[in-house]
Amino acid sequence: MATVMGTARTHRHKQLRRHALIYLGLSPFLVLAVFPIFWMAITAIKQDADLYLMDAVPFWFRQAPTWKNFDFLFHHTSYGDWIVNTMLISFWVSAITILTAVPAGYALARLRLPFAENLGIGIFMTYLVPAIILFIPLARVVSTLDLQDSWWALVVVYPTFTIPFCTWLLMGFFKTVPFEIEEAAMVDGCGQLGALLRVVLPVSWPGVITAIIFSFTLSMQDFLYSLAFVAVSDQKPVPLGVATELIRGDIYFWGSLMAGALLVGVPVAIVYNLFLDKFISGITGAAIK
Amino acid sequence: MTQAAPGGPPPPGSISVAIGGRVRETSWWRTPTARRYLFGYTLLASVGSPVARFVGIENFKSALENAVFYTAVRNTLVFTIGAGILKGVLGTTLAFLLLQPFKGRKVVRALLVIPFTLPIAVSVLGWKWMFDSQFSVINWALSRLSLIGGYGSPDWPVWLGQPALALFSVMFVNVWRGFPFSAIVLLAGLTSVPPEVLDAAKVDGASFLQRFRKVIVPMIAPILFIGSAFDTVFTLSDLSIVYLLTNGGPDGATEILPTLAYNTGIRGGALGRGAAISLFLFPLLLPAIVLLLRTLRRRQY
Repeated sequence: MATVMGTARTHRHKQLRRHALIYLGLSPFLVLAVFPIFWMAITAIKQDADLYLMDAVPFWFRQAPTWKNFDFLFHHTSYGDWIVNTMLISFWVSAITILTAVPAGYALARLRLPFAENLGIGIFMTYLVPAIILFIPLARVVSTLDLQDSWWALVVVYPTFTIPFCTWLLMGFFKTVPFEIEEAAMVDGCGQLGALLRVVLPVSWPGVITAIIFSFTLSMQDFLYSLAFVAVSDQKPVPLGVATELIRGDIYFWGSLMAGALLVGVPVAIVYNLFLDKFISGITGAAIK
Repeated sequence: MTQAAPGGPPPPGSISVAIGGRVRETSWWRTPTARRYLFGYTLLASVGSPVARFVGIENFKSALENAVFYTAVRNTLVFTIGAGILKGVLGTTLAFLLLQPFKGRKVVRALLVIPFTLPIAVSVLGWKWMFDSQFSVINWALSRLSLIGGYGSPDWPVWLGQPALALFSVMFVNVWRGFPFSAIVLLAGLTSVPPEVLDAAKVDGASFLQRFRKVIVPMIAPILFIGSAFDTVFTLSDLSIVYLLTNGGPDGATEILPTLAYNTGIRGGALGRGAAISLFLFPLLLPAIVLLLRTLRRRQY
């Protein structure tokens, strides 16, 4: 823009150009990130015939949108069971995780144990031991406990990754609680346990909530363990059920597949999205300090 | 695997033959802790039976004798390194874009991290539909843009059916899922650099590249290490993308160590051999873990 303008206008102009350039740079990323979700969503509410019309533009409806795919899920598959299973699994995993990670995190943050720092790092490292290495030894644990083909197998197994992560997360939270208020509680006659329950936990509830959220979302993100340990149809959690039960041989029920996947995927994605910064600082916080 | 009676004849070539056919078995082998150290042992019994015998390196040997194993190692390396580079490039570009102040940044950020926050099995199913051999929306778009012919023409890509394309496709889905993570981690690092430091470098006459290399990179190195270590671990051990999209096919073109381990260990019932295969991931994971450990420990000083 070579024309001479007032400084205010030039400034506004510059701002506009800057924004345009940024949005231009971002748009391919946005399309890449959002299009698959849009495509899944529109597939979920299209009529079957509409999915296979290749001569028209497929990005909108040619036939009226329909809810029959959702209907199908709830009336002709075990989808209802899968949702209940997923919720129960996540609930028990969260309960186990909190009961373990709160005392562990507190001990590592507060008790001045020898090697506490290294122990904390060690516990965190077990989060890095991937499921693909653990699932075979865990298969034997599951079968020894006689839990194969029941969703309880997953309740036993998921804490192997939720506990390390949440212990690390809670350790960080407990470290930020000033030691003085704890001391004050002890002077007033609380024991160490009383101080934890009555003083430290109430002020670090955001940490506990975050830990619960992550136990839930990390449990719902899993695929490998459920695939390896649960084969009975009505015992499956949602991601596994959708991926394995809605495909019969070579026939894909695309509409109901997408419907079933998104119905659980979207809420998880939203909650995870809100807590993403906590997740990132959970795993990198150590480096920023 | 067949059920072997305890004390039955060991397979030829196993360690127990070398020590005179005596079967060594102690209850310690059966504890879960021991199993972590002794991955490579065989369970000559079906899943769930407590009968297990020590066979030394037998399982590792049989893994190495399988030609598919080498394909899987090669594919795992190509998959991890290729996807890692792509995620690095896309993530860096995106992080610098998101570093700029602009209107609607929060909304844009929330939309951009969707791939990472969606449960992996869910999004992979979406991609499977987009890679459909006949009704792929990608092919529809390419064909409308006249980049390829119609369905049935020789240049119609069958994303999951052609070996090279299939490997590319599974890699692409991994990149799609991982690039927001790289960007957000990098962004967290970049925002932790105090602007005064950058200003000081600017005043001293450092160019953008110099500032990037000499100031930003050293300051955010720890966070970059941790981010890439995590990403490497997630990628190396990720089975769901390949399992759901191609299950290793066509003809082993996308077989990676995790799918091979799963198919051998759980589906084939050869737990010991499966464990041996998945343990071959360990040398690949080791650099990431060492890097992470060093970064974490350094912060103490």
